Amino acid sequence: MSQDVLVIGGGIAGIQASLDLADMGIKVHLVEKLPSIGGKMAQLDKTFPTNDCAI
Amino acid sequence: MLDVGRHPNIALLAYSEVEKVEGQAGDFNVTVRRKKRYVEKDKCTGCGACAEKCPTKVSDAFNEGLGSRSAIYSYFAQGIPSTHTIDPDFCRQLKGKKCGICEKVCQADAINFDQEDMIITLDVGAIIFAVGYDVFDPSQIPEYRYREIPNVVTAMEFERLLSASGPTEGHLDRPSDRTVEAEIATLEKNLKKSKRTLEKLEKKYDQTSAQFYNQYQQGQYQDDRDEQGRKKWADKYATHLAIMEPLEALKKKAEGFTVAKKLAFVQCVGSRDFRFYPFCSGYCCMHSIKEAVIAHEHEPETTSTIFGMDIRAVSKGFEEYKIRGGNNSNISYVRGRVSEIMEGPANNPVVIYEDTHKRQVESREFDMVILATACAPTKGIIKLAKVFGVALDKYGFIKTSPLSPVDTTVPGVFVCGCAESPMDVPESVAQASSAAERAAEIAIQLRSEKEKAVA
Repeated sequence: MSQDVLVIGGGIAGIQASLDLADMGIKVHLVEKLPSIGGKMAQLDKTFPTNDCAI
Repeated sequence: MLDVGRHPNIALLAYSEVEKVEGQAGDFNVTVRRKKRYVEKDKCTGCGACAEKCPTKVSDAFNEGLGSRSAIYSYFAQGIPSTHTIDPDFCRQLKGKKCGICEKVCQADAINFDQEDMIITLDVGAIIFAVGYDVFDPSQIPEYRYREIPNVVTAMEFERLLSASGPTEGHLDRPSDRTVEAEIATLEKNLKKSKRTLEKLEKKYDQTSAQFYNQYQQGQYQDDRDEQGRKKWADKYATHLAIMEPLEALKKKAEGFTVAKKLAFVQCVGSRDFRFYPFCSGYCCMHSIKEAVIAHEHEPETTSTIFGMDIRAVSKGFEEYKIRGGNNSNISYVRGRVSEIMEGPANNPVVIYEDTHKRQVESREFDMVILATACAPTKGIIKLAKVFGVALDKYGFIKTSPLSPVDTTVPGVFVCGCAESPMDVPESVAQASSAAERAAEIAIQLRSEKEKAVA
């Protein structure tokens, strides 16, 4: 039995889920296939509808 | 991203893949392979000295192949972790050639060519799938001639061209123009080299190359005692001329280059298409409008035409954004589906479409065409779904039900983001928080059971 959570994928969804869990005091293991997290959103320049910077 | 790297409750396992899973909700045993980077993560400071000196240049996946990176690289400048990675497919040393420059320049002594994969096992109570999606490959649609016409690009490629940290530093240079500029750079490099050789020869014989070549061609040096040397000089000068001519032609062509100002956005490329994905990918209409708005911000003379069956701006503030784009950013919306893209003069793509309002088939020339590509299920998902035993839907996304949209078919395994279905950033974030809460239910229940047992 373990209270830890495994998150697979370090894109915006995986990052958000990991941070929410970690802020609740739950230990998270975040596995990402690529050398760095960020996913597709890190490739975006700006995001709609506010034109905020994506990174 | 930075918060993830710093958070004491998050163990980040980048460059890793899940290989095996056993157990059930509350008690999963997961095997993870940490792939070898050939760089010690505890030593690497991410300074980038290795990448600067690495002699092997490779197409950069982060920039959608529009730029290049070294064989030792960080995935992108702000990437977390900043640990560099050696690409075993291209590294000279790992390919058995003599190199090892990175090892010499690394002050932190972090390079380790003998590193091995690490297998680790984790005990977890719940699992969240957030494996994302793949950009649909539009070369499957022959009539759009993606890859055949250089100035037809995907929305993600266009995003990299717009980005200040991208390969063009945010200038909308057309791919065809960039190819010409790259050719000019190569020829100039060769020309410089040949100039140096000629200068040495001119000094030796005390004559200009042009004068000598003229005389040589007239047969003046046929019985010269240094015939070999003269011939070598003549050959060198002929090569020099062979570089000069195409270089001048390309330079003349490049004089007319400006940034792309007339843009066409083609909607539903792969989505709402029964040959590929019948579903609507949801975010592409807004994505195209956003790219047109940003392009107009960069260059106020930019005009954009968005070709779509309808513009789906369905969320808070989206419809207003669409109208604002039309009023302030020179965007016009044409109702109709693009049937074909051809190449016109000066590498300009020509879009052939039916304007359904006018009921007319028309064609228009643009500087660049951007394809709003579908959100396709990621390729690795089939293998991963098998490992976990979770069911996929008919398209290859993770199967859920409408009343429990983050629960997979396996208890204790949850899903969020584009692994579940196409969605935009705000929806992905909302679903991620929802999946986190479902996973937390299991973790917190286990915690309170444990506390009760102790009490």
